[in-house]
Amino acid sequence: MKKHAGAIVLFAVAALTPLVIRGGFFLDSLVIILLWGAISAAWNVAGGYAGQVSLGHAAFFGIGAYAAALVSARWQQSPWLGLLVGMLVSVAAGLIIGYLSNRLRGPYFALSTIAFSQVLLIVASRWRGFTAGSEGIPVPFRPGFWTLGLGHVAWVYVALALAVVYYLVEVYLERSRIGYQLAGVREDEEAAEALGIASRRLKVFAIALSAALTSIGGSLWAQYIGFVDPFYVFSVDLSVRFALHTIIGGMGVALGPFLGAALITALETSLRAHFSGIKGGYVGLYLVTYGVILILVVRFVPEGLAGLAARVRTRTIRAHA
Amino acid sequence: MDPARTLGPAQIDVLAQLFVSTILLGGIYALIAVGLTLIFGIMRVVNFAHGEFLMLGMYLAFWSFALYGLDPYLVLVAAIPLFFLTGLVTYALVMKGVIRASHNVQIFTTVGLSIALQNLALVLWTGDFRFVRPWHASVILRVGASAFNLSQVVAFAVAVAFTIGLFAFMKWTHAGRVMRATAQDRDAATLMGIDTDRVYRLTFAIGIACVGVAGVLVSPLYSVYPTAGLQFVLLAYVVVVLGGLGDMVGALLGSVIVASVEVVGSYVVGSAWKEVLYFLLFIAVLVFRPAGLFGQRGAENLGV
Repeated sequence: MKKHAGAIVLFAVAALTPLVIRGGFFLDSLVIILLWGAISAAWNVAGGYAGQVSLGHAAFFGIGAYAAALVSARWQQSPWLGLLVGMLVSVAAGLIIGYLSNRLRGPYFALSTIAFSQVLLIVASRWRGFTAGSEGIPVPFRPGFWTLGLGHVAWVYVALALAVVYYLVEVYLERSRIGYQLAGVREDEEAAEALGIASRRLKVFAIALSAALTSIGGSLWAQYIGFVDPFYVFSVDLSVRFALHTIIGGMGVALGPFLGAALITALETSLRAHFSGIKGGYVGLYLVTYGVILILVVRFVPEGLAGLAARVRTRTIRAHA
Repeated sequence: MDPARTLGPAQIDVLAQLFVSTILLGGIYALIAVGLTLIFGIMRVVNFAHGEFLMLGMYLAFWSFALYGLDPYLVLVAAIPLFFLTGLVTYALVMKGVIRASHNVQIFTTVGLSIALQNLALVLWTGDFRFVRPWHASVILRVGASAFNLSQVVAFAVAVAFTIGLFAFMKWTHAGRVMRATAQDRDAATLMGIDTDRVYRLTFAIGIACVGVAGVLVSPLYSVYPTAGLQFVLLAYVVVVLGGLGDMVGALLGSVIVASVEVVGSYVVGSAWKEVLYFLLFIAVLVFRPAGLFGQRGAENLGV
């Protein structure tokens, strides 16, 4: 229980916030933090636990977003159905990418995932007949749970449910046999194979699982925001963002992505609010800041915030002993 | 049907035009890719911020042209030392500390650098599309039935001269030999008394100078905006992986291949879909020959 104290506090605060604060702005930030946290947790499954550092997760996010948007806007069906379709397509895509990129490591793997997401970006932005091309798709707002037309408070709980489930998936990956096997493959693939672990199959599994989770997040995001723009949902920037949250929070740590998402989103919102009045170009300033933060974090705290907390704790315990 | 696509003497002209366009484009891609592959080959770091230095080169050309009316090809003279210096500073501030770190640390350091530079450009110069249009950008040269633009020809010539210069430097100078030795075996080079830190610094500065020069060269041909580097650098990755990461001759061949896919692709399937072609080619190479078409097998599994 003690190990999960941070997560329990974080999720409890999120659950109680709508009871106290009714302001749309805060609730909106909260939904975004929970969604980004959950999707980054999905990235963590591949990047953190399996060591398959992807810079193309926007591919799965975009598939989920498009599936939900197309199903609800074009075919007037429930976006939940779209979510399911998107998930299946993403699993298929994850299996293909995972299988094809199986032998690749480090920068090669990252480059191949970028290439896959770029192919999807081009298809989504050019295939006008199916995806409406670069115009993007506005998602109709139809009130109700089945149509995902919800108010801010309800969205907080949907996003929170997603975040909690993803957190539990991560915890399962830390504890289970398969999680230990993944850690083995991540740390030393040859040694893991020598011990009889089917490393290739495991890596493909991790990517497919990560793809499914990312896609669900993308579907919910599309319904929440109400608009799908191919140049955003399939962008390299977005892929980097998922990785960034996780690295800043702590890779391969269940709470890491949520910490990272909370920190970065809060930073983004406050810097945006602070600089928006001055001049249009200054919106970029928060991104400069986060580029610099990323450089500093990987250099000085490569284990992320969660790791830093652990390090401080050990040091205090030692000091007291 | 498009008359150019029917059989006949016109088709010969089309082929000539496609050929010339491929070569011109390939020369420019080569200069971008050569810097990237040099940095990878010697430092074992994929520079995800490579495109941002290209973008900075384009802005240098833009501002010199807009403020002082300087021709991009004059700016080139200043761009070489300027970007060399930028490379040295970036190495000292950012790269030096992560040169022996894990892949993940290196990947995200350069990704962070890319985000910071891109948005610094956005803050300083806004997201507007800018254009550099010196007199030579509108001069059309005709040889036989194929036509091309004077800026393109000059960009190609300079890029090729630069690339050849770099090859000569690597092959015949002491510094070049030292750099190649470091690329082959970092530890052995250190044991032979080579100061590898200096080699990395020099390598990074040369790589950045190449791409900065490329940015100045392409400025009259493309529009200038903060994320202008992305498309080029994605291409450069394709080129460099095709040729084998770290292989400079491979990068030249890769450039020509990618340029031909782009040129022939836009002719056959239209410019909207040509990018799909080279990404598919990229994925195919990564899957079937990750060491590149001409590289040694298994390179992707070694310490890279």
